Amino acid sequence: MSIQEYISSGIVESYVLGLTSEDEGREFEQMCTKHPEVLAARTAFELALEKQAMENAIAPSLDVRNKIFEEINSTGKVVTMQPAIARKTNWFKYAAAASVILLAGSIYWNIMLSNKNKDLQNNYNNSVAELSDIKKDIQVLQANPTVKMAAMGGQAASPTSFATVYWDTTSHDVYLMVNNMPKPASDKQYQLWAFLDGQPVDMGLIEITEKPLQLYRLKKAQAAQAFAITLEQKNRPDISKPAGTLYVMGKL
Amino acid sequence: MNTQITYSEQELVSLLRQRNEQGFAYLYDNYSGALYGIVNGIVTDKEIANDVLQNVFVNIWRKIDSYDASKGRLFTWMLNIARNASIDEIRSKGFRDSQKNQSLEENVDLAGSSIGPTVDDVGLKKVLSKLKGELRVLIDMSYFQGFTHEEIAKALDIPLGTVKTRIRSALIQLRTMIQ
Repeated sequence: MSIQEYISSGIVESYVLGLTSEDEGREFEQMCTKHPEVLAARTAFELALEKQAMENAIAPSLDVRNKIFEEINSTGKVVTMQPAIARKTNWFKYAAAASVILLAGSIYWNIMLSNKNKDLQNNYNNSVAELSDIKKDIQVLQANPTVKMAAMGGQAASPTSFATVYWDTTSHDVYLMVNNMPKPASDKQYQLWAFLDGQPVDMGLIEITEKPLQLYRLKKAQAAQAFAITLEQKNRPDISKPAGTLYVMGKL
Repeated sequence: MNTQITYSEQELVSLLRQRNEQGFAYLYDNYSGALYGIVNGIVTDKEIANDVLQNVFVNIWRKIDSYDASKGRLFTWMLNIARNASIDEIRSKGFRDSQKNQSLEENVDLAGSSIGPTVDDVGLKKVLSKLKGELRVLIDMSYFQGFTHEEIAKALDIPLGTVKTRIRSALIQLRTMIQ
């Protein structure tokens, strides 16, 4: 690769925007010290990016500025504490001994409950994190104005089943999200169909993974009015026509 | 803000290293808007964006010694602090909890099979919206949501090499758009 090819490979932009891996970054830094052209290209893109950001500046409220200056001024200040006053009486010893026993018991229960609570909290956090990742995938697709969506509802064979198709009308890419569908028996497999003028078109077999709400990428669809999923026998000779049971279906 | 004096980037860096508040005020008044724009491209909630911006500037103040001029301009360093802080925020538990309240509404949208509203595009996001669908998804996932190339390859089920080359070519297009 010549230096010019290296510069125009997109590495400059990747590095400046912080999208390179560690190795790529190190290599790029070496190239910058060895080749002034690389350094010049980096600086040019940095300046363009800075100009772009300046032109799209949004003024934050004055409140933010005040808080920042408060925070940087408060670091390093020492807070003094009042010493506690100690008291001693004879009966106090017994009361203290009794309360220590009570306290020990109470601490024991607290720890037990707190551990239980932690477990629950962890489970909860994991679920929330998983959901958030999924939501992000969906948001990416929904934010794209060229992407259409078909929500496919359960049919007679499985009324609670639900799946969603996202179809990019410009690139014709088809993404499938299995929201809720039963795990197929080991000799069966789901298959996605697009409907064009009432005729089913094979969109591909679906390898269901254990991961809930997984996003699958399937065959491209040039045009479609509806999508459906059937449960089919594995390894059947002609997969271009549906032969099994209809599970979900939905219009675009 | 009217600032009479202007500093070169080197002067500014050396003032910051001396923990000079006047230098820091100059930095804030000149760059907070640009960085706030970056934060807003990633964190959509205004209150949270304010907190993130506050963190960004406190971090610039505290970590200025780790800035290495040989690796890039001061602004690039600050921009990456702003981007990373924003992505950390949208990935943190607190943000997820605050987003949780909106989930009911979103579910209604899903059930009604409508397409979600598009967020007002600002700054780099606006440039991004000019990219073709697929490239746009890739840049959005990598730059604005901080997914690694490996994670993207897995999520979209496309080979890692393809993710890399497509992101590179999207970035080349982005460059020509902002120049």
